[in-house]
Amino acid sequence: MIGKLAWKNIWFKPLNTILSILLLTASVAIITVLILVEKQFEEKYQSNLDGVDLVLGAQGSPLQLVLSSVYQVDDPTGNISFDSVKVWMNHPYVKKAIPLAYGDNYVGFKIVGTTPDYIEKYKAKIAEGKVFEHNFEVVVGADVAEKLKLKLGDTFKGTHGSAAEGEVHEHGEYVIVGIASKTGKVIDNLILSNIPTVWQMHHEEGHEESQDEEAANPAHGEPGHVHHEEEELAENPAHGEPGHVHHDDEEIAENPAHGEEGHVHHDHENDMTIDEPNMEITSVLIEFKNKMGVFMWPNLIAQNTKMQAALPTYQMNRVFDMFGVGINALKYLAFGIMLISGISIFIALFNTLKERKAEFALMRVNGAKRHQLLLVVLLESMMLCFVGYLFGTILGRVGIVLLSKASESDFKLGFNPMEIIWKKEGLLFGLTLLVGLIAALIPAIKAYTLNISKTLANA
Amino acid sequence: MISTKNITFSYNKDQTFIMPDLYCEAGSTILVTGNSGKGKTTYLHILAGLLRPNSGEIHIDKKEITHLKGSKADKFRGKNIGVVFQKSHFIASLSVLENLEMASWLASGKKHKARAKELLQKLDISEQAHKLPSQLSVGQQQRVSIARALMNEPKVLLADEPTSSLDDKNADNVIELLENLSKEYKTALIIVTHDSRIKQKFTNQITMV
Repeated sequence: MIGKLAWKNIWFKPLNTILSILLLTASVAIITVLILVEKQFEEKYQSNLDGVDLVLGAQGSPLQLVLSSVYQVDDPTGNISFDSVKVWMNHPYVKKAIPLAYGDNYVGFKIVGTTPDYIEKYKAKIAEGKVFEHNFEVVVGADVAEKLKLKLGDTFKGTHGSAAEGEVHEHGEYVIVGIASKTGKVIDNLILSNIPTVWQMHHEEGHEESQDEEAANPAHGEPGHVHHEEEELAENPAHGEPGHVHHDDEEIAENPAHGEEGHVHHDHENDMTIDEPNMEITSVLIEFKNKMGVFMWPNLIAQNTKMQAALPTYQMNRVFDMFGVGINALKYLAFGIMLISGISIFIALFNTLKERKAEFALMRVNGAKRHQLLLVVLLESMMLCFVGYLFGTILGRVGIVLLSKASESDFKLGFNPMEIIWKKEGLLFGLTLLVGLIAALIPAIKAYTLNISKTLANA
Repeated sequence: MISTKNITFSYNKDQTFIMPDLYCEAGSTILVTGNSGKGKTTYLHILAGLLRPNSGEIHIDKKEITHLKGSKADKFRGKNIGVVFQKSHFIASLSVLENLEMASWLASGKKHKARAKELLQKLDISEQAHKLPSQLSVGQQQRVSIARALMNEPKVLLADEPTSSLDDKNADNVIELLENLSKEYKTALIIVTHDSRIKQKFTNQITMV
C-alpha cells in the first residue's frame, strides 16, 4: 500500500518525474556504455596479446608495428629480411616465433602469411577442413567465412595491399582448405596462408621482367643452378618413372576437373618454399622462454640490426593512458549528470512537501506511523532512481549496439551489448539508489518530524 | 464513550487553556462552541491525541489516552477516532475510493473495500469513487471526509468546523449526515464550531470562554 502510494505520487507530478528520470537515464546510459566498452575493449586487446612478448619488425613507429602485427588495424611499418630475422627466431631465449608476411587482402580482409603456430596462439581450432599446407591454400577466420559465406574448396583472387579497392592479382587463386573456429579475437577476421604463398604471389608478378636471371644461371649440375622449364622437360624422366617431374601441361591433363576430388590448382614442384633465400617478411611475434629478453632485446635489436623490437604491453598501455583521459572525462560528465538528477529529485520532493504537509498530517490522523511517512518519501525517490536505472541500462545497451555496428565496419571490433558486468553494474545500481536515498533524506526527515497539530491548524 | 477531566494545555508560559470537562455517550452529540482564539481547535486536537495536554485525563471507551505514546497513540487514533476537518485534505494522487481504503489500511492493515463502497453509497457519492479528490466539489469533498472518518468504525467522531466553508444547503446536509451516521454507527460525535447555523440544532453544548 505504501509502495502503491509512492508509485502514484510519482506519477501525480509527471513533468517533475520525467525530468528526473531523463537525467538519471542519461547518466546511467553513459556509464553503462563506458563500463561495457572499457571492459570488452581491454579484454579483446589483452586476449590478442597473449603469447606475444615482443614484436620484431621494420623500423618506424613502435605503436604502428604493434597495431599492425598484433591487432591488424594499421598498415605495417615495412619489410624485414627473413634471413636476418631467422637468426633471432632461433635465439635460445625464444620459446616461439611466429613470422607474419602481409601482402594482399580479399574484399578488405587481410591475407596473412604465417605458420600454423599463429592459429594455435589464438587457441583457434580448425572447425572444418585442415590447416594450410601447400602454397595458395588458406584457412579463413570464422567471421570472414560467415560474412562472405565462404566454404571449403572455394577459390578467390587476392587484391594487392590492404584496401579492398586495390589491384587484383590476376594469376594465382587461393583455395580454402580450412575454416577456423570463432575465438572473438583478430584471427576471426583474417585469411591465413603459409609464408611462401605471399612471396610467390608477389614474386611471379616480377618474373617476366627478370630475364637476365637466366643468363646468370650456372650450368646444370653446378651448385646454384636453377632449373628452367625447357631444360627440365628434356631431362625429365618419362611420366610414371621415378624422378619424373610433373610439368605444367602434363599436370593440366592429369589434374581432375575443377571441382572434383583431388583437383589441384598449382604445380607444387615449382612452388617457393620457406627456405627461399633473400626474401622479406613483415614482422615476427616473439614469445620468450626467458623473460629477460623483454628487457634486453629492444636495445640489442636496435644496436645490431636494421629492425626494431616493440613491446606490445608497453605500447598498449600508452594507448590506454591516452584513451583513459577521454574515458575519465566522460565518466565525470556522467556522474555530474547523476548529481544534477539527484538535485532535481531533491527539489521536486522538497517543493511538493509543502503541498503535501496536510496530506501527511492527515495520514497520521488516520493512524499512519512516523516511519511510514518516511518510507513513502524515500520510496518515491528510490523508485524514480530504479526506473531511471532500468531505462539507462537499456538505453546504454542500445547505444552499444549502434557503436558496435560502427566499430565493426571500421576496426573489425564488435561489442556485446548482452554482457552483464555484475560487479561494476551492481555498483552503479547501488550508486543510483544511493543518489535517490540522499536526495530524499531531508524531505523524508521533514515528513518524519512533521507536527500534525500545527500543520492541520494552519492549513 | 468519551470523557475528559481537568485538561489544561499551554503553547507557552503566558497562556494556559483550561478546557471544560465533557462527557459524550455513544450515539449522542456535543457541540463545542466559542469565539476564535479560545482554544476550540486546540481542544479538538487534544481529544484526537494530536496534542498532549499538560495535565488531566481523557478516557475513550474506558481507556486513558493521554499516556499513549508514539506508534501506540497513532494506532489507537487510527482505530478509534475519526476526524472531519474544516477544509478537506486528501491524498491528492489517490482516487476517492483509494483514499478511503488507505485510511482503513493505515489503521488496521486491511483495505475493507466493501465498507468503503457502502459508505460512499450512503453518502451519495459512489459515482465519484474513481475520481481524484481535486475533481470533486467542496460539498462532495466534505462528504468524502465524513466517509473516511467513519471507515474504521471509530468510537469517537470529531468534527472541526465541518460547515464553515459550505453554503446553507450543504451545511444542513453535512450536519444531518453527521448526526444520523453517528447514531447509526453508535459513535460519540463532538462538533467544534462557531457556526451559528448549527448552534440552534443542538441542545448539548459546551461553550469555551
